[in-house]
Amino acid sequence: MELVELPVPEPKASEAVVKLAASGVNFIDVYFREGRYKAPLPLVLGQEGAGVVTAVGSDVRSVKNGDRVAWSGPLGAYAEYAAMPADRLVPIPSGVTDQQAASAMLQGMTAHYLSHDTYPLKRGETALVHAAAGGVGLLLTQMAHNIGARVIATVSTDEKAKLAREAGADEVILYTQSDFEVETKRLTGGKGVDVVYDSVGKTTFEKGLNVLRPRGMMVLFGGSSGAVPPFDLIGLSQKGSLYVTRPSLLNYIASREELVARSGAVFGMIAAGKLKLRIDHKYPLAEAQRAHRELEGRKTTGKLLLIP
Amino acid sequence: MKAIRVQHTGGPEVMELGEVPLPQPKPTEAVVKVSVAGVNSIDGHFRDGSLRTPLPFIPGQEGAGVVSAVGARAKTVKVGDRVAWSGVLGSYAEFVVSPEEHLVPVPANVTDEQAAAAMMHGLTAHYLANDAHKLKAGETALVHAAAGGVGLLLVQMARAIGARVIGTASSEEKARLAREAGAEEVIVFTQQDFEVEVKRLTGGKGVDVVYDGVGKATFEKNLNVLRPRGMLVLYGMSSGPVPPVDPAKLSEKGSLYMARTTLAHFTATREELLARTGALFAMIGDGKLKVRIAKTYPLAEAAQAHRDMEARKIAGKLLLTL
Repeated sequence: MELVELPVPEPKASEAVVKLAASGVNFIDVYFREGRYKAPLPLVLGQEGAGVVTAVGSDVRSVKNGDRVAWSGPLGAYAEYAAMPADRLVPIPSGVTDQQAASAMLQGMTAHYLSHDTYPLKRGETALVHAAAGGVGLLLTQMAHNIGARVIATVSTDEKAKLAREAGADEVILYTQSDFEVETKRLTGGKGVDVVYDSVGKTTFEKGLNVLRPRGMMVLFGGSSGAVPPFDLIGLSQKGSLYVTRPSLLNYIASREELVARSGAVFGMIAAGKLKLRIDHKYPLAEAQRAHRELEGRKTTGKLLLIP
Repeated sequence: MKAIRVQHTGGPEVMELGEVPLPQPKPTEAVVKVSVAGVNSIDGHFRDGSLRTPLPFIPGQEGAGVVSAVGARAKTVKVGDRVAWSGVLGSYAEFVVSPEEHLVPVPANVTDEQAAAAMMHGLTAHYLANDAHKLKAGETALVHAAAGGVGLLLVQMARAIGARVIGTASSEEKARLAREAGAEEVIVFTQQDFEVEVKRLTGGKGVDVVYDGVGKATFEKNLNVLRPRGMLVLYGMSSGPVPPVDPAKLSEKGSLYMARTTLAHFTATREELLARTGALFAMIGDGKLKVRIAKTYPLAEAAQAHRDMEARKIAGKLLLTL
């Protein structure tokens, strides 16, 4: 990753150019940098940002110059200016800062679709949230708590346990010290949880199925410990007519209508003070390398932003 | 009493009519004089040993009849009650003993034949359409084996909810039955590729839910005909077990859901069993659900009933009458 001078992009007919105020740093950026995910080279990294519209293409109706907007998805956010498909830009309300918006697009909308659509949590239900002090985990825990669900969280350290509790987790299991299967069964009186939200994958999947109530749902939304190997379906019926889904954000913001509704809901929570973001790590754009090193070294908690 | 006994597992011929002692109820059991017993593929699996139970045994899991004796602490049924059941081994007999909580009342406007025929297939169709995936008016469902025992009932229930049903069937004759049950489109899968046809019939959008009791033969293509965020409900594997599934496939094909369900988890409490059978019997009593009874046999001809069932030539329910 090198800082270079490039021409300010011109918008195509359906695009808008945004002057960036903040860019989110995400693990997916590392995958593109390494080449694990492919994109034509050379490329400007970054899939999440917020800023002000400075130019629009001839067909654009959804935004205009001067609008404060945010996005996630299209590449090109590690820059002073980015040309974006206009229908992927969402308005930022006045109660939300650019930095909050840039922080919340990917992880906030992920936490939102998981808790409101993939498995619409209800008051009184119990959710097991793995990696509850992670980027999505802290937001998901808050949303689940705000819905009125009971949250059982897993984390790796005492410090992260404290963060998960502050976010609203009712119970926190330090999986480095106790077996989460045994603990979850104990904490639910043997009944099991209604839903497991799992971004860890390989090391947690099988035990996750064992802690679901009959007809409960496994939501596998990532694989930070590695990919889950193929699993036997008969286990799902023997363990209680279980459901499994493997969602990704794209399918939950596929239409402009859904994208605007979902980002609007997340921004509404932020503006109302119901969703706290941890923006603890800000780097000048020139220090993108350091941001990646610290993200990969797992030295950070909360969101990393680049400030152009 | 007379009963069909299996002394050793094997083909239909291992089922012999014999005299066995009348069963006595334990404190929370009841004895039922069987009027009608349902014939199901699971009976064949126990008979041929692919499912295991101690020998000798009396086959049959489902039936209807009248309570003839109750245990000392039985509270939910009394002598003279008309009842039906499923999941009680020993139903191919003049009398069967059952835990009382497995017996459900049969309303006056439902016959014993209808009740016996509807318990396993009807309850299965009911949980599939209402709980495993809660179908809504305007949704589109793909129902495999739509002229099968569960299929014909599921198609009717889905139609009653207001969903559009695309069915698959193996022959024109079965396709006609599925259409009569309410399927808007039926794909004869021996002549047409169901993946291609379902995509065409949905304008490329895919279906909201696939109900599949077939398993191995249909699994991969099922994932290709679901809309993004659609649901695959697997409730049986008549073509063999599905090989292990890579969960990444579910995201690649559009954030899909998958469930592998069995009836026991949808009738787990007495409350749920009563609610579900009550809803089912109400549909039958009101004439909204037609139970297709293909053939009835005397108890002594149980072996012939199994032969006919396993030849897969008869569409609809087979019953033994006593």
